[in-house]
Amino acid sequence: MASDQLSITFGALADPTRRAILARLALGETSVTELAVPFRISLPAVTKHLKVLQRAGLITRGRSAQWRPCRLAAEPLRDAAGWMEPYRQIWEAKLDRLDAYLNDVRSGNHQETTDD
Amino acid sequence: MTEASTHPELVLTRTFDAPRELVFAAFTDARRLAQWWGPEGFTTPDATADVRPGGALRLDMHAPDGTIYRGGGTYHEIVPPERLVFSTTILDDDLQALAEVHNTLTLLERGGKTELTLRARVVRADPSVAHHLAGMEEGWKSSLDALAKYVAQL
Repeated sequence: MASDQLSITFGALADPTRRAILARLALGETSVTELAVPFRISLPAVTKHLKVLQRAGLITRGRSAQWRPCRLAAEPLRDAAGWMEPYRQIWEAKLDRLDAYLNDVRSGNHQETTDD
Repeated sequence: MTEASTHPELVLTRTFDAPRELVFAAFTDARRLAQWWGPEGFTTPDATADVRPGGALRLDMHAPDGTIYRGGGTYHEIVPPERLVFSTTILDDDLQALAEVHNTLTLLERGGKTELTLRARVVRADPSVAHHLAGMEEGWKSSLDALAKYVAQL
């Protein structure tokens, strides 16, 4: 599982409700009942999302049977964000080159390659 | 914890002095893709782009030192000249995907210019891809350095 941690993290983050839950937890720990309120979804649905987040190591839950507060675990998120930075740099550079290419085409300096 | 760190999604916006149709073509015409997709000095000689939902995209970048950075992808949604949804993959030498990224490209017409917004969301990623990307980033940086040197001579 550890070898594929990034995939699990990104998979868990692919869902907008789960991202919203994490954004809420970034403000502080809370109960499942409280979490469910703004999302207008059932308690079992929230629990399902929480299980995915917990498996991904993105949240931890308290042990108390009565009130198991959900808490954000920042480490996998930091790893995921760290992954994105080089990717951003590459895209920025790509768009620079696209800009140069488009300018070439527009000014007629570019030799259009054709198959024939 | 900032909001950005709970949304590992890349959002890039750029305005190009070109009509939307041309910018759109730069992402859908293999011959055009080959002209800009890789870093300066890289070539993408075998670029293919099957532009239809489910159609495959293949962009292998050849570095000046001979290293080949393999890339693939799939077109999902094609609405010329305003919207393009496609995934890109980073492939290892056995063509196994190390990472898959879901991209949504939006093109807005702004007085003859084109405002491009790219939203990239990582769907899955093998840990080894971090190393791979770092290598790619180096490639981009060195090519930008070369470009800066070249421009300084003009």
